[in-house]
Amino acid sequence: MKIIKSIFYILTVVFFTASANAACKDIKIATMTWASAQLMAQVDKLVLEKGFGCEVEIIQADTMPAFTGMNEKGSPDLVPELWANSFITPLNKAVKEGRLHVLNKGPITGLGEGWWVTPAFRKKHPEIKTVQDLIKRPDLFPHPEDKSKGAFVTCPAGWACQLSNANLFRAFDMEKKGWKMVDPGSAAGLDGTIAKAAERGQNWVGYYWAPTAIIGKYKLIKLDWGVPFAGKDNWDNCIVKAEKDCANPKPTAWITPAVNTVITDKFKKSADANAVKYLEKRTYPGEVMNGMLVYMGENQAEGSDAAIEFIQKHEAVWKNWVPADVAAKIKKSL
Amino acid sequence: MMESLFKFPSLGRETLRDFKKGIDSSFKEFSRTHGEGIENFFEPLLQFLVWFEKLLINSPWPLVIAVIAFLTWKASKKLTLVAGTIFAFVMIGLFGMWKDTMSTLAIISVATFLCLLLGAPIGILMAKSNRASMIISPVLDTMQTIPTFVYLIPIIMLLGIGKVPGLIAVCVYAIPPIVRLTNLGIREVNSKLIEAGKALGLSKLVILYRIEFPLALPSIMTGVNQTIMMSLSMVVIASMIGVAGLGLPILRSISNQFLALGLMNGLAIVALAVIFDRISQHYARRVQKHKEVGRK
Repeated sequence: MKIIKSIFYILTVVFFTASANAACKDIKIATMTWASAQLMAQVDKLVLEKGFGCEVEIIQADTMPAFTGMNEKGSPDLVPELWANSFITPLNKAVKEGRLHVLNKGPITGLGEGWWVTPAFRKKHPEIKTVQDLIKRPDLFPHPEDKSKGAFVTCPAGWACQLSNANLFRAFDMEKKGWKMVDPGSAAGLDGTIAKAAERGQNWVGYYWAPTAIIGKYKLIKLDWGVPFAGKDNWDNCIVKAEKDCANPKPTAWITPAVNTVITDKFKKSADANAVKYLEKRTYPGEVMNGMLVYMGENQAEGSDAAIEFIQKHEAVWKNWVPADVAAKIKKSL
Repeated sequence: MMESLFKFPSLGRETLRDFKKGIDSSFKEFSRTHGEGIENFFEPLLQFLVWFEKLLINSPWPLVIAVIAFLTWKASKKLTLVAGTIFAFVMIGLFGMWKDTMSTLAIISVATFLCLLLGAPIGILMAKSNRASMIISPVLDTMQTIPTFVYLIPIIMLLGIGKVPGLIAVCVYAIPPIVRLTNLGIREVNSKLIEAGKALGLSKLVILYRIEFPLALPSIMTGVNQTIMMSLSMVVIASMIGVAGLGLPILRSISNQFLALGLMNGLAIVALAVIFDRISQHYARRVQKHKEVGRK
């Protein structure tokens, strides 16, 4: 009887110590190869460590391995910026089964792909707000090799978005309206055309995506589409396919990207309720994020340096994400 | 004390950053103020390139093949080569690469022509003046070794993407051989022959045209040949800054692992290279024969 009692006692002790240790210790945050995800991971680390007393480790991951890891093994515990369009079904399943939790369906505003114009163009033609307005005026974007046509800068050869752009180009019937697609050939070519046009205050329209340093640096403006999203069937079975597999593309807005902040169930249970609330609340305004990316590019700053810069410079943004006492703790720690 | 030996005393991070920023912003300033002018300067060249490409694409294909076959015959006088050329172009057409090949042909032939036009006089200048040679040689070394995108990005900032920057990129890389080999060829001309020319009271220009240039021709033709080869090898790079042609499908196949597409377009470039190479070599040999009459 005594033995059983002592075993019970030991077990209880072990159990309690274990659960105490589990309280926000040994948290793994996945960072990605691109700058915005690196910044967010480092800011989350800083806030969780200094504000909520967690122990955080940053691990380098890629989108698919990070999702697979947290879905199968429960590690990493937190992915700040998970682009989930390609595995939305398994993600929803994991959420339904309670293994994962989607805390934030848009950690950065204004993010995603689209058609952008230079600020100089917006200033000269404030009346052109949507893609629908724009395609009536190819004369404003003369193609260098054929002045009678309007130049629309599409994705570099071989990128998946080249197909989507080509199909949208057909869906909006732009060829008949006097437009021509320009293939910039490479990321450097695409960035170069933007830099040239923006530096000289010229008109430019083309494909890009946010959050990116280029968008922030040259303050490009995303056009509204002027048409609603025409349904997943049109998008998945036509727009993203090669031209031969997409006979009748319907005009549509670009698909809204499913970018989420995802955590594991273990993390949700072990962490402070306010820490979870922080992750739910923290939404970076697009301009702030793009501005941070410009800062990172110009100063060749690592995510961790940029996180400190963000906390110092943008208090107004992050102050509302955490309770006042936590905010004070974070500020003091710098 | 010891530490300073192991860590190179580089300029401070701030200094370096300001230095780089200074260069960048002054270049951007330059591009803002003079970009338009430079673009206008190249406008006729661009229009010519567009016109030439359209001419090749819009002409009936049998006519294009006939013209190319005729030129091949004129240059080489070899039936096998003519047959091979026709065969290669028919294959290119059969595999659906006609239009891209015409685009590539257009830009490459203009690029090569431009390189020769600029390169040969520079080579002559180098042969005539040791000082010029001393200055130009390292420039040529730089042009051949500097990673392409280092100068491509500034060019894009100045001229945008497309044919003209593509042409410049090709020429920067492909012009050194013709310059070097012209220089070499003229320097190697037997000085006694030049003396003889002088004794006959020929002017320098006549000596150059009548004695030096013909004798240097084998070397110069090797340079032409190398220039053609190198400009063809730049097709893919040129496509990376928006030049239409065989490079674009190759880029597409690289990022999507389309093996067949990549191989087909790659082979089309090889076919163009081989044809150009054989034609220029045969032409050189024939020109030589003509000059060597009597020596045999």
